[in-house]
Amino acid sequence: MAGKKVPFYEEFVVFSRKTPTSPCQEQFTLLAPNHEIALVMAQENFMRREKVCDIWVVKRSDIRCMTPEERKTLNRIDNKDYRNTKGYGYLAKFWRKLDQGMLDEKEILSWSKGRVVE
Amino acid sequence: MKPQYKEEVIELLYQLADDDLLVSYRGSEWLGLVPHIEEDVAYSSITQNTMGHANIYYSLLEELGEGKVDDLAHLRPAGERKNAIILEEKNGPGHWLYGEPRYDWAFTVVRNYFYEAIKKRKIDSLKQSSYEPLRQVAVKIDTEIPYHLMHWRTWFEQLVRAGGEAEERMKAAVARVWEDIGGVLSLGPNEEKIVEAGLIESEAVLKERFLEDINKKFTELGLKMPGEPGMKKGDGRAGFHTEDLEEALAQLSEVYALNPAVPW
Amino acid sequence: MAVSVRDAEKVKYREFMERIEAGEKIEADDWMPDDYRQALIKLISMHGISEIMGALPEKEWTPKAPTLYRKLAIMAKVQDEVGHGQLLLRVAEDLIKPYGKTREDLIQDLFAGRLKFHNVFHWKTKSWADAGLIGWLVDGAAIITQTNMLDCSYAPYARALKRIAAEEVFHAQHGEAIAVALATGTEEQKEMLQDALNRWWPALLMFFGPPTAELTGSSKQEITIKYKIRKNTNEELRQFYLTKYVPRIQGLGLTIPDETLRWDDEKKEWIYKQPDWNLFLKITRNEGPMSQERLRLRRLSYENNAWVREALGLNTKIFAS
Repeated sequence: MAGKKVPFYEEFVVFSRKTPTSPCQEQFTLLAPNHEIALVMAQENFMRREKVCDIWVVKRSDIRCMTPEERKTLNRIDNKDYRNTKGYGYLAKFWRKLDQGMLDEKEILSWSKGRVVE
Repeated sequence: MKPQYKEEVIELLYQLADDDLLVSYRGSEWLGLVPHIEEDVAYSSITQNTMGHANIYYSLLEELGEGKVDDLAHLRPAGERKNAIILEEKNGPGHWLYGEPRYDWAFTVVRNYFYEAIKKRKIDSLKQSSYEPLRQVAVKIDTEIPYHLMHWRTWFEQLVRAGGEAEERMKAAVARVWEDIGGVLSLGPNEEKIVEAGLIESEAVLKERFLEDINKKFTELGLKMPGEPGMKKGDGRAGFHTEDLEEALAQLSEVYALNPAVPW
Repeated sequence: MAVSVRDAEKVKYREFMERIEAGEKIEADDWMPDDYRQALIKLISMHGISEIMGALPEKEWTPKAPTLYRKLAIMAKVQDEVGHGQLLLRVAEDLIKPYGKTREDLIQDLFAGRLKFHNVFHWKTKSWADAGLIGWLVDGAAIITQTNMLDCSYAPYARALKRIAAEEVFHAQHGEAIAVALATGTEEQKEMLQDALNRWWPALLMFFGPPTAELTGSSKQEITIKYKIRKNTNEELRQFYLTKYVPRIQGLGLTIPDETLRWDDEKKEWIYKQPDWNLFLKITRNEGPMSQERLRLRRLSYENNAWVREALGLNTKIFAS
């Protein structure tokens, strides 16, 4: 009976998207013989209580992860205020004196409503 | 701090600061013109990191009473600069803006790869430096080198392995950079005193380690080792420079020099 | 009995419009009417390539930025612009994929003048204050336009714009920081900024495009509003921009070079002197002050680096080691 070991199912990584504008998020991995089967099992395995608008399955072997050595390339020095709003916080005080608000995230994202004439 | 010791610290800091400033200045000229849009974005982060390192070294000099960081970076004339000549060289022929710039990506990849490889060896040595503040910044700067090295090593390997025109261009760039890469390894006319002060290990030791790294990579890629690293155009640490540096300094200080006393 | 193809298309179109009206999002592989796809391709490829071309005027000042801090900041900012170009071109590339086209085709279209880049990037820069003014006021105009499409019906574009908008908050403040430093500096610095404003003011008004199609012959604003790609017309956006920025400009002690500029409280709108729309038309034909130079620089760098793309493009297999 000791036959040759048949190759078992492949590993798939499941991703989902909550709303059309949210980023895709990794859920978990599952075993399946192919993409189609992986897809039909994905939602009920990982998102039984969660509503999503899209699901991706990706063969794990198609994902190039970093090696532990490569993960060291992800460190950065904390000296980059110049590229963050943190480096410009002092402007708030300046604009207040001129009766103007700060162009912060709240203000700028509020512009998405467009021009509303009162 | 003994005056003699302070002098050696200052000398070494200028070398480190000016190297990072010039190589990142050349990087900043590439912005918007890199062969591939995604790479343009990636390379700019390395340039910013490196200019950030220069900033850190200049800050140590400021603490030692050498003057304001921005004065040190922008106002010192070419004759006082301590950077290696290979780092001041233009990215390619032609004026950097609308005057037919023909930037050489092979040269850029090779220069940056060799530079980061040497920088890594230097930083490892500086982590044992007798000057505590330098030891601390070396530990800090070391966190960003792995990405720089991986990035340029990957470009180097792939363009060499691509064969054909790319391989030929890369070989030519290796030959060209090698002629002057010795300038990056150089610790200048005061090497002996710098090493005696325990600030960093000797040029010979650093060179041996760098050659070990490069030899390994070259063997893997089937490239021939080009022999001793050269310093054909002279030693930047001793104040020898080219017109390229004059041009670079004129550009990078053009606005600041209008009035260095006021905020910009 | 077979339903005619035309009827089937009509049903599809009705269903599509129902989705649009309901505020639903469309994905790249959803059915979409051809004029929707064409409008998206035109809009997003132009938006993307404009970010790439827009790096050039600011790039002129990146190595020259006065201090290390400013050098780093403007580098990070221009880097973001190239990054926005990357995001947007990827969205456009997915839209042209059904036609067998790629990024290469978009770049060739740019060189051939078939794909235009935004009118504001055809102007000359003269001093560091121009870099500050671009970062402050041109970016401000761009933020007004881009946030207006944040709720865009086309999901991949909306996703890209969401990332972009988050970064624009830094851009808005970065530009203001430079302007504030100059405006509160020496007489020389103040003059520099005022001079930049004098030269750039017409470009800032032109930024939003003509108020009506009659003025310049064509406008795609109706279709983009119908399909909920954006919310406001060119003129509404310009008015919105003036409301947000005129007080800030004047607050800094600057004089806007338009004596007729005023808020009309009855009409609830800004009255301003129209910019030269003939010049606008020239710019859209790549005949602006710097159109050809910037295209030439882009072409030069593209040709000069062709060997890199070829080397990696032809050898994708050997690298998987």
